Amino acid sequence: MKNRLEELRKAKGLCQEELADALEVSRQTIGSLERGRYNPSILLAFKISRYFGIPIEEIFIYEEEPL
Amino acid sequence: MKRKIRFYLVLCIIGLCLAVTALALRRFSISDIVGGMMMGGGSGLCAMALVQLLMLYSEWKHPEEARKKEIAVKDERNTAIQRRAKAVSGDILQWGVMVVAWVSIGLDAPLWVTLLAVSIFVLRSVLDVFLIGYYQKVM
Repeated sequence: MKNRLEELRKAKGLCQEELADALEVSRQTIGSLERGRYNPSILLAFKISRYFGIPIEEIFIYEEEPL
Repeated sequence: MKRKIRFYLVLCIIGLCLAVTALALRRFSISDIVGGMMMGGGSGLCAMALVQLLMLYSEWKHPEEARKKEIAVKDERNTAIQRRAKAVSGDILQWGVMVVAWVSIGLDAPLWVTLLAVSIFVLRSVLDVFLIGYYQKVM
């Protein structure tokens, strides 16, 4: 799953540490999310969505794999 | 925080009391086993409580670091990593035990070694099935 987390974070002028602090997760989690190596729980996705004031589907882009 | 401090203070006092009682009762020819257990348990309890109190003091002194530590512990990715690591290490151990069983047969080891290894393997498998059933009901 792709996401726009890095883009949104940089638009807000935040470093990973600051975003992690605001979302109460580790900096490594933010890094993993941005690299697309880790998909967040629905709770964290909502937290991120509320923090940026953007709907979840505009942050996380789900692409169905072709059969 | 205050509740934790009170709890560990009580534990520390209980530990001290046990150790002091063990020392005092030595005069009244208390058995070595009971005295040793009281002394060991008491001093262990006291030391553990003191360490926890020191950690609480450190958290109180450095709240920002304590918050970071708490976040790292509760972090969902860290939790997921720990769970996956435990599951994989459990699997590796289970098959390792099976290897021990086969090797013990090959080396003509006592029967109880083979039986113990196989029992551990079976117990783990049964536990897996039970827990899968439990979580299927709960989740």
